[in-house]
Amino acid sequence: MRIHINGIGVVGGFGSGVKALLTCLEMGLPPLKVHDTGYGPAFLADTSPLEAFVRKKSLRRIDHFSQMAILGAHLALQDGGMPSMAAKRTGLIICSGYGASRTTFSFLDSVINDGDACASPTSFSNSVHNAAAGHLSILLKLGGPSLTVSQFEMSVPSALLSARQWLQEGRVDHVLFGAVDEYCDVVGYCWRSFFGEDDHCVMSPLSQDRESAIPGEGSVFFLLSKEKADTSKYGSVVDVRMGRLDGASVLSSEQTTFILGADGHKGCDRLYADFMPPGAESACYSPLYGSLPIGPAFDMAIAALCIREEKMFASPESVADQGKYNIIRKALPLTPGSITCLKVAKDYEFGIITVTTG
Amino acid sequence: MNRSAPAAITGIGCLSAAGMSLKENMVSLFAGKRCAAPPERFTSSHPLHYPVFEILKDPSPGNNPENKDILRTCRLGLSAVNEALLDAGLGPEDLTRLRVGVCMGTTVGSTMTDEEFYRNFRGGMRPGMTMIERFLKSNPASVIAREFNLKGPCQTVVNACSSGTDAIGIGASWIRSGMCDMVIAGGADELCRVTYNGFISLMITDDSPCRPFDRDRKGLNLGEGAGILILESDRILRDREKPARAFVLGYGSACDGYHLTAPSPEGKGLKNALTDALLESGKTAGDIAFINAHGTATRDNDRTEAMVLAEMLPDVPFFSTKGYTGHALGAAGAIEAAFTVACLESGMIPSNAGFASLDPELGVSPVYENTRISRNVAVSDSLAFGGHNAALVLGLERV
Repeated sequence: MRIHINGIGVVGGFGSGVKALLTCLEMGLPPLKVHDTGYGPAFLADTSPLEAFVRKKSLRRIDHFSQMAILGAHLALQDGGMPSMAAKRTGLIICSGYGASRTTFSFLDSVINDGDACASPTSFSNSVHNAAAGHLSILLKLGGPSLTVSQFEMSVPSALLSARQWLQEGRVDHVLFGAVDEYCDVVGYCWRSFFGEDDHCVMSPLSQDRESAIPGEGSVFFLLSKEKADTSKYGSVVDVRMGRLDGASVLSSEQTTFILGADGHKGCDRLYADFMPPGAESACYSPLYGSLPIGPAFDMAIAALCIREEKMFASPESVADQGKYNIIRKALPLTPGSITCLKVAKDYEFGIITVTTG
Repeated sequence: MNRSAPAAITGIGCLSAAGMSLKENMVSLFAGKRCAAPPERFTSSHPLHYPVFEILKDPSPGNNPENKDILRTCRLGLSAVNEALLDAGLGPEDLTRLRVGVCMGTTVGSTMTDEEFYRNFRGGMRPGMTMIERFLKSNPASVIAREFNLKGPCQTVVNACSSGTDAIGIGASWIRSGMCDMVIAGGADELCRVTYNGFISLMITDDSPCRPFDRDRKGLNLGEGAGILILESDRILRDREKPARAFVLGYGSACDGYHLTAPSPEGKGLKNALTDALLESGKTAGDIAFINAHGTATRDNDRTEAMVLAEMLPDVPFFSTKGYTGHALGAAGAIEAAFTVACLESGMIPSNAGFASLDPELGVSPVYENTRISRNVAVSDSLAFGGHNAALVLGLERV
């Protein structure tokens, strides 16, 4: 079944909106501003553009994680030309690797600072993983099904399976599908502890001998429908799969153009070679948005933009090749096109999302 | 909502404070046994000791060396999976030949909440990564997939208190669509200080054993546990010549769009979820033997739920089992789905523990003694934070 992509909203270290991401892709450069967090560099997201969509007063008790979600969702709806939705016929799916981690630790702060009896009810209720879905359903007055998924690096393909099921079963006509992850000091500290204290400002994914991941944060939302909107040129998702490689190839020789989700973790990056069909061409764009569990959502958005623009963008120069991946170094025409986004995690876990023209 | 083919349930596993297996749980429920007590696994500086329903035995980790050091939530989940597989007559070798998916609900199991690590981090003590590594190894769905070397889709549903119900509904859809031959679906959650302090901070926790739907109810008691259903496709069922215990006939899910922590006073989302679940099952109110209600014993939840059930499923007996298990959050819906099937099979439903006085505001009472039932279809529903609602229609027969 085809899932039509009728709108995209993106928020990340590169800015917000499809235009900001497109600029970044055209330039092939990472965000100009790399934040020094005290735990090394990070690509952080600014949610101030949210004030164009939601009154500031309504956001007072909504944390950064949910604000990124709300901004991404509004941008996707605006991009799809659907500022309001048919409440009961629209499903809401949000996925996240780590959830609202800042708020989770804020809750612990309240306990540590003032004792168990002074635990913060606001932090507690916002730290629950589906709080962002709750806020969005309230603000958008949604009444259809809602789902929040947390599957670390496989959160996006896993949740996308459910979006496809809902549309296929006729449960809904549209799915507002989003992925969100945020940076916090604990994430920065863990990054340093696991991957060392090299304060590089550029990621070099697919390098076999160097850890180069820079943590990122942001949100990516899609307006997905069974029917193609007249104005949409993003193409459609024709294949979503996840699982664990067990010897047999999971990719066919017909799949020739890939976006690899390698994000600078050498332990996982080196596994991509075992998946690739011979002769395939690959791009990798993680240096533009950073390393975060919901990276595959950024790749899916970029694949849809490639379809719209009828070209594969050049990978950033810092992407390593090692002679194994046939990395796309110059923009290539893509008419008609089919792009497979591949994410590989520890133990050969994989997620595959294929976006095609039409 | 289209009418869908049912998904067969061939094995069930369940543990809670009421018992370490489904059988033990049902014995406790029908004996009216409840064991709420102050928490033993952790301490708290609250002046009042709020009771919880705690599992005092420690479930063993799995056999996979990678699963030796996993969070308690996952141990609870694995324990229920082992019981369910045994019940289904399946060994680990049977699973490797099939496309087996895992869909698990949780809340605590997906949140990095290790207090000791965070205290040390805040204190500038540069804590080691042991706790973080444990967390990263403990995604509930991935742990099960790793334990049995499964290669199908994995999904951990984090829809707060309806996660277990949603996971079963989603698992059933994976079977129907042909995505999987078999799905291990359910939920698991452990008691911990974060949820204990959190629910107390919201002032919806009772300092005595909870009283779902009672006039004098004061809130919930937390619990812990896991519930697992083995769902199988018709083809595998035929090949194995295995009779189904029951079927997932329908599933519905809907949000209120009203408030982050309180249900819509009109029960908008719950009505939509029940409507979709019934439509999918092809059943009507007259077919339903009973409702295993969410019944947390908070003022708001029970008011909304009782109103919706009275309106949509009038005269259908209902009860909450939270008085026996406490509220096991992401596991609750799965535990209750397991109880629902066991009740259908036994033709009997348990009394609603903790209920003593009719609440005139609700105008309806749950069953207050063990009661015989004659029909073979039932509903199990869940209401959750975020204004989310989910419902399952379960039955002993395919149609």
